[in-house]
Parts: sequence; C-alpha cells; structure tokens
Amino acid sequence: MTEPITVATGPEPRWRRDLTRLQAIAIDVVLWVLALLMIDFLVIAFSGRRGPTGLLVTPEEVLLLLHYGWVAVAAVTLATVWHLARGILGAPPGGALIYGVPEEERDVPWTQTFRGWFVALLIQLTLFSGWLITEVQLVTFLTKFSKASDIIRGLLHPSGEILQQGLVLLVQTIFLAFMATAFAIPLAFVLSFLAARNLTRRNRLSRLAYTLVRAGMNFTRAVEPLVWALIFISWVGIGPFAGVLALWVHSVAALIKLYSEQVESIDPGPVEAITATGASAIQVLRYGVVPQVIPPFLSFTIYRWDINVRMSTIIGFVGGGGIGYILKPRVDLGQWGEVGTLVLLIALTVWVMDILSAKIRERIV
Amino acid sequence: MRKEGATVAAAETMPGDAVRIENLTKVYPSGIQALADVSLTVHGGEFLVVLGLSGSGKSTLLRCINRLIDPTAGRIWIFGNEITAAEGSELRASRAQIGMIFQQFNLVRRQSVLLNVLSGALGRAPFFSSLVARFPEEEAERARACLERVDLGGRGASRADALSGGQQQRVAIARALMQQPRLILADEPVASLDPALRHSVMRHIEALNREEGMTVVCTLHDIDLIQRYATRLVALRDGRLVYKGRPDDFNGETFREIYGQDAVPTSTLTT
Repeated sequence: MTEPITVATGPEPRWRRDLTRLQAIAIDVVLWVLALLMIDFLVIAFSGRRGPTGLLVTPEEVLLLLHYGWVAVAAVTLATVWHLARGILGAPPGGALIYGVPEEERDVPWTQTFRGWFVALLIQLTLFSGWLITEVQLVTFLTKFSKASDIIRGLLHPSGEILQQGLVLLVQTIFLAFMATAFAIPLAFVLSFLAARNLTRRNRLSRLAYTLVRAGMNFTRAVEPLVWALIFISWVGIGPFAGVLALWVHSVAALIKLYSEQVESIDPGPVEAITATGASAIQVLRYGVVPQVIPPFLSFTIYRWDINVRMSTIIGFVGGGGIGYILKPRVDLGQWGEVGTLVLLIALTVWVMDILSAKIRERIV
Repeated sequence: MRKEGATVAAAETMPGDAVRIENLTKVYPSGIQALADVSLTVHGGEFLVVLGLSGSGKSTLLRCINRLIDPTAGRIWIFGNEITAAEGSELRASRAQIGMIFQQFNLVRRQSVLLNVLSGALGRAPFFSSLVARFPEEEAERARACLERVDLGGRGASRADALSGGQQQRVAIARALMQQPRLILADEPVASLDPALRHSVMRHIEALNREEGMTVVCTLHDIDLIQRYATRLVALRDGRLVYKGRPDDFNGETFREIYGQDAVPTSTLTT
C-alpha cells in the first residue's frame, strides 16, 4: 500500500512531556537506589562488625542492617540534582535511555562523562555485591573436589541392574511428553488466533478476548510445571497422567505464545485478498492465515515435544510418572551407579530428540 | 462533511453506474489524511484509470470501494446499493461482486494455484465444506476454465510460489474472475512486474473489460499503458481529485500537472 500524505500535527501535549521527564527521573532514581544500596551493603560487610550470631556478618544480616530510608531520600535528591544540572554534568543515564544520548555527547568517550563513570561504578558494585550475596567460595571450589568424586565415579560407572526398568520408564517418559504435546495442540491452535494482535484489532469483543487469553497464558506460564504437577497429583493421583496434565497446561501456554507470534508475523496481503472476495471471517482465517502458519506451527510443536521430554524427568521427581520417578529415590539414597545409568538414558534420549527435531524442522520450514 | 445534496445524488444514480462516491474522506487514526472530499462516478463498462503519486490516496480510494478500509466520511454506492455502512452478509455480498487485483499479487504462496483460484468462490461457497477445502465439482471446473482464460491451463497443481511474477499475477486475475464479478479493482497490477511482462497482464484485464463487460478501476503510472488501455482518467493529489479527462487529451503537459513539474513521463518501453 502506498504511503498516505501527512497532516501537520500540533506539538506534543504538555502532560505527555512531563510524563516522559518523570519516567527519565524515575529510572535515575532506581539506578541511584541500586548504587547506594550496594555501597551501603559493601561498607557494612567490610566494616568487620559482628552480627547477632557472633560471626562476621552474613549476607542476610547485612541486608537487614541496610539504611533503606536514607538511601531512598539520597537517591531521589541525587537523581533530581543531576537531572536539573544536566547542562554541567552531562545527560543522566535515565535521560539518555529515554531521550537518547544528546548530540554533543555522542562522540565523547565514556571515560570523560559523568554518566560513563556512574555506569562503570554500578557494574563494579553489582559484581562485588553479587559475589558476597551468593557467597562465592573460589578456594573451596578449587580444592574440595575429592568430596564429589564418589558421585562422579558412580555416574561414570553405570550399573546394569536398573537398565531394564529404566528403559521401560523411558518409553513412558517419551509417551508422556508426546501425549502432553498432542493434547496441547488443538487448544493452543484455537487460542493462538485470539492471542494475535493483528487479528484482534477489529472490535471491542476481540480486543477483550486478546487481553483475556494473553493474561491467562502469562499466568499459566509463570507457574512452574512442578507446581502444576503437585496440583494434578492431588487431583488425579500419583502417576504418569498427572505428569501429562502438568506438561499439557504448561505446553498450551507456551505454544499459544509461539503460535501467536507466528500469526502476528504473517504477510497481510493474502488476508486482504481473501477478505476482498467476500469471504467470512472464519473463511479468511482458513484461507488467508492458516496456510501461512502451518509449517512454523509444526516446527514449534516438535520443538515443544523435545522440551517436554526433558521436563518430564523433573515432573517424575514429585510423582508425575516417567523416569524421574525411579531417579529421585536413588539420588536420595546415594546409589550413584544407578543414577548414572538413568542420567545416561535421559541424556541419550534428549540428544536423539534434539537431532531429530532439528532435522525435521529444517525440512518443514 | 456530508452535503445536503447527497441523498439527491443517490436518486440520481443511473442504473448503469458501477460506483458512485460522494464526498469521501478518510483520515487514518495516525492523523494522516488519505482522501479529502472525493466525489466520483464510475460508469458501467468503462476502464477507468486512477493516476497520482505514491501517497496521493489511490490505494485508499480503491480499498474504500470494497470497504477493506472504512471511510471516515462520505457515501459509497455499488451498482445502486449504498454500502457505506454495510456489515456482515450484506458487505460480503457486495465484496463478492468486486474482484480485486493487487500489486504484490497476494496469493497464498504455499497453496496450489487451483486452490488460490477457488478461493475466489468463497463468497458463495457452502460454509462448512469450504472450511475443509471441498468445493463442488462445477466450481473446480470453473476454476480450471478461469486458469485457461489466463493461459495457465494445466498449472493448477503447481504451488503458487513456483510460478513467475507475471504468472502469479495472472493467477490473481483468475481468482478475481472466479468471483464472476461485475467490477474489477486493480491496484498497480503491473508495478511489480518486468516492463516486458506488463502488456501481457494488462491485456488479460482488458479482455475482462471488453469481452465480459466488467467495469475496471485501475491505478497505473506508465503513460503508454494509460493511453493504450484507459477509456477515462482521473487523478488524485494529496487525497483530492485534481483531474478528470480522456486518454486522448492526456500528454506530457497534463502529466506534469498531476505529478509535479519535475516528473518525467515513463513508459514501459523506455523503462
């Protein structure tokens, strides 16, 4: 379609300009809060003070000692000052993010701007604080390998005893993943059109459907499959069917997301052409949209099956059937030889699935 | 925007008029004004060419006629029926009698040529059987005949994207023909084609006009194509109708008037 002519539009409304400026300051405030909190954290951590436990302060205790109120006030002040004095100090990071780096600062190397040093400091602080909070112990990591050698030796010497049971359950795992994917396809297929922006702009009802499907999808995806498994185990009892249902719910949400993105990227031309023949909305979907998305849909579905095989192992840990069901007790009992066998079986399957799905997807698209 | 005379104009619509447009205005949500107070009548059986620069509103005008785009103001009659606010089956029935040909062909690329042509029959196809792509045998027969018309008989089983650009546009013409339309809208039908292929496609559109008596509204740029095929011309500039005339009166002077003083007339033979 050709580009229509532009009608001169007035200047941006004042409230929108103010809102944008507020946004820029808010980003700076957040950055300053982060910086100051981490400085505070590091100062307390290195002050050599002893916490209530009598030991040098632990990360949890440091977090409790932080001066949140002061930090907030200081951050707001600093961010506002920087924003007002941006003529002297250069653009603040938030301003640069919202408005873009100003013309006169484009070619200045970062070492000569206040903003550059601030960002560098922020990255340094994040690294140091992260090191302390996650309690990184490099020395232990490098010297205490021998403690894990039993496990690794076990894993490297798989025991044959469990092989037969493992193979049987592996078959169950693959079918579990397959059924979850198969059940997910029809529901995700129908809902994905409602979750696509380009098909739901037309009227209020479809926009509502879009919002509802998107919200439902995001909520479902946010809940871990492990949690879904626990829900369905109390619903239908321990066993592979609970696993199927858990993976099904998660797959529906994941497939809706992948499918709808595909629907959003179709060529609008054929849709326009089919609409122009006098076809109804459903016919337009069938003839203008569906033929364009079938190959990518197939490809994503196979990919999803692949993911489900990997996920079903973890689902089995809590009683959702499949190979994870016999893996968990052996991990708990430290029977590393048998664990090694099962891990090897899973790894082989995942590897084969990966190659297969890549090959098939290559052929389809 | 609507004038008092609009209703009178409806009464004046001649039975032979294919399209009557009164005071049509289109402003896009972005604030862009594509059409400004355009009034135009397309007489039955004519080959009307719409001229104008990119962005002058030609595409919008064509898409308002079959309501792919909803106008902001103004009224539209198709063969005497007002469709300005038509919805549902009434709108689909109106669209079904208007075939449309696009610059980018707009075929479903992965589907067979025959199915692409058959989709022209969707406006009258039984709903459920059309969803599983089962068309009555006489429709399949008609689709093959339409392909024959555009010299593509025997290519029905090919995938649409296996064909060359000129062939794809002829499939698109067959799809429009499949609608058995009374009016054809052609939006720059040859702009994406090699100059050497343009006449071959235009000749098929002309045949629909001459032999089947279908009214054609077509946007074109090339001066020799205009002089060869048009029976009447109108031109748009900045969304306004700025010129109405006959192809015989159309020359380099009028061309510059429409396209601006810097424009150079192009023809398919020289480009």
